[in-house]
Amino acid sequence: PQIMIFLFPPLRETAEAMAYSLSLSLLYLGLLCGNGPVYARGSELFTPDPSRGPHFTGCRSREQETFRCWWSTGTFQNLTEPGALRVFYQTKNANEWQECPDYTRTVKNECYFNKTFTHIWTSYCIHLRSVPQNITYDEACFTVENIVHPDPPIGLNWTLLNVSRSGLHFDALLRWAPPPSADVQMGWMSLVYQVQYRIRNASHWEMLDLESGTQQSIYGLHTDKEYEVRVRCKMSAFDNFGEFSDSIIVHVAQIPSKDSTFPTTLVLIFGVIGVAILLVLLIFSQQQRLMVIFLPPIPAPKIKGIDPELLKNGKLDQLNSLLSSQDMYKPDFYHEDPWVEFIQLDLDDPAEKNESSDTQHLLGLSRSGSSHILNFKSDDDSGRASCYDPELPNPEDLASLLPGHSGRGENHPLVSRSSSSIPDLGVQQTSEVEETPIQTQPAVPSWVNMDFYAQVSDFTPAGGVVLSPGQLNSSPEKKKEEENEKKIQFQLLSDGAYTSENTARQLDVPPSPGPEQGYQAFPTQAVEGNLWNGEYLVSASDSQTPYLLPEAPPAPILPPVSDYTVVQEVDAQHSLLLNPPSSQAAISPHTPNKHLPAMPTMPMGYLTPDLLGNLNP
Amino acid sequence: MNRVKVLQAWLCCLSLWPCWLSHGVPLDCKDEVGSLSHCASISQEKLLDRVIQHAELIYRVSEESCTLFEEMFVPYPLHALRNQGGNMCHTKPFPIPGSKSEIQQISDKWLLHSVLMLVQSWMEPLIYLQTTLNRYDDAPDALLNKTKWVSDKLLSLEQGVVVLIRKMLDEGILTSPSIFEHTLNPYNEQSPEVLESVLRDYNLLICFKKDAHKMETFLKLLKCRQSNKLSCLSY
Repeated sequence: PQIMIFLFPPLRETAEAMAYSLSLSLLYLGLLCGNGPVYARGSELFTPDPSRGPHFTGCRSREQETFRCWWSTGTFQNLTEPGALRVFYQTKNANEWQECPDYTRTVKNECYFNKTFTHIWTSYCIHLRSVPQNITYDEACFTVENIVHPDPPIGLNWTLLNVSRSGLHFDALLRWAPPPSADVQMGWMSLVYQVQYRIRNASHWEMLDLESGTQQSIYGLHTDKEYEVRVRCKMSAFDNFGEFSDSIIVHVAQIPSKDSTFPTTLVLIFGVIGVAILLVLLIFSQQQRLMVIFLPPIPAPKIKGIDPELLKNGKLDQLNSLLSSQDMYKPDFYHEDPWVEFIQLDLDDPAEKNESSDTQHLLGLSRSGSSHILNFKSDDDSGRASCYDPELPNPEDLASLLPGHSGRGENHPLVSRSSSSIPDLGVQQTSEVEETPIQTQPAVPSWVNMDFYAQVSDFTPAGGVVLSPGQLNSSPEKKKEEENEKKIQFQLLSDGAYTSENTARQLDVPPSPGPEQGYQAFPTQAVEGNLWNGEYLVSASDSQTPYLLPEAPPAPILPPVSDYTVVQEVDAQHSLLLNPPSSQAAISPHTPNKHLPAMPTMPMGYLTPDLLGNLNP
Repeated sequence: MNRVKVLQAWLCCLSLWPCWLSHGVPLDCKDEVGSLSHCASISQEKLLDRVIQHAELIYRVSEESCTLFEEMFVPYPLHALRNQGGNMCHTKPFPIPGSKSEIQQISDKWLLHSVLMLVQSWMEPLIYLQTTLNRYDDAPDALLNKTKWVSDKLLSLEQGVVVLIRKMLDEGILTSPSIFEHTLNPYNEQSPEVLESVLRDYNLLICFKKDAHKMETFLKLLKCRQSNKLSCLSY
């Protein structure tokens, strides 16, 4: 066509020029259209092969009423002239070959079968022949309904179905019409359609399912995006799709909607408020429990009987009075003293014990002193923990204590001073005596007759302790009388060793024979008979020497004080018998205490809880 | 005694009630000689729609069966046979035109009779097809189910067409079983896996698909004529 334009430029007349241009353009278009099917649309049945000889390139029907077939000469160039190759066809019904009813004039190498020659449900066979040589170059057999490629649908348009709440998505409804060439109404062709869409200029098309109707909805499209939509159709029960229709653009502008965000924030706010209210209610209802869990109460320091407020105020006098009356100074506390339990009891030789019991010693009922002293010495550690030196009593030392005896070389701590103080019974000894905290024993016999426990009667300003004279009398009756007295006194005291200053002052100081007689022991009935050397308290007045005078005070002078008594036995009524008479002591184990185990006469030591348990049947 | 008998009669009537109901179903009503009052409840238009639906379904299922068989048993180079539309389909008593123009000139009567003839001609071959397909070793269940389904539906289609004929043409037709001679021998001794028998069955399926298309086309043309006489006539 471009050559022709060059060939006819000199024509000046407009009418002629226009006619020529029109015909040329028509020819141009015809060639383009004619060449189209051959080059652009290859039939699915036949694949064009330029390397071969003359062959069919395809047959197509648009509406199942007519069809066309195309062929190519291939490599054989000498057969390009029209008429060299001819097409013959044969239907199944008629067994004669007929030539192509219409060779298309405008299109090269095309055979057109019109309505009268198109039969469906019959198979056609076509031959490409060269008549002069009588050679059949190619043949093909088919039925018309198998080569139908419908025209594209027309009238594609879309409408908006709805927009999502967020304004981000929308649904569109597509509509189209069947191709006008297809006679769908008569039922000659039953078509199914396929819609495809994609985001504009994207490479991948989304395909929807086949639709037999003429409308379809697309869901979930994004707003603010342009979509390209197209549709094509095919005959149902056949596989050949037609051409696609022209694409249309589907686009919805995004509308920023505040409404969508508003409810969500409101819901959030309400939710948070609701949760907060619930929490507050929970806390208030379970306040007590939560307080205990989260803020456990700190245990405040507490002393029984003491008001913490008093401590805070800090009045010392009141505090002192309070502390003095505390339990820890009570006798029962004393009983729980640990050192009490470690006191060993000598239970292995009851006979000997009988002979050499403390009470006996104290009472001076029997025996000579030396043997006692020896027994003393044999007495091991029972209760003489810190304050008592086991080397006491050295009989020689003790002998040296006897009045008149002087100048022993030994500097026994217990007796050393006493030796010096023996001759002087006066006040002059105070200076020397002060240095030694330990009291000296008086003369042996007096000592053995003495009690092991002495009641503190007073304190000296120097820091010494004054013992009240104990009873050394052996008369049981007297003792018992005094015992009761002293028991009461004793109970006033808190266990002897722990006597407060006040109580010491309150002690009833029995009349002492004299300042010389510093030492008083509470003889006879030692409750827990033990050689307690804890502290030998000096009684009487301050002027008295803290040391005990070696001279044994005569027993009857001393008022009987017995705060401690050795428990001898437990009788049938579970009462403790304190210092029963010896005769009784002999008998008693046998008669009334039949149920009780033969109890050894105790008491070199304490009555431990174990032994108390033994007493109880 | 009378009361007892009445009660028995009443019970019999009650028990037979479902049978009466089945007789009352319009489309599946059995054709009985002389009983024109049956199936009068459904309208002709609706009946035609239902018949067309049947035909469409049968056509689609036939195509699927053909595809299944082809994929399973037919060698690939021979798939082109399908496009040839079947070479040895059994001949019909009267030829059916293939061009649109000719078909448009066919009268309603001949359309209906053609459909009926087509339906009846395929009853036996489908039964034969079922037996042969069962003899295949690894025939897919879908294929067997489809062929069975198609033969069932064909029966109901026949009934519908008969009723239509009666309604539209006022003709009474006896449904005679087989008036066609079939070239097919159902008791073929040959094993089914041989290519010859495979191709024969393949051909059978292709022919059936074609005939199903014919049925559908005729019925649709008939419907078009019923609704809009002008556009469906030949031009």
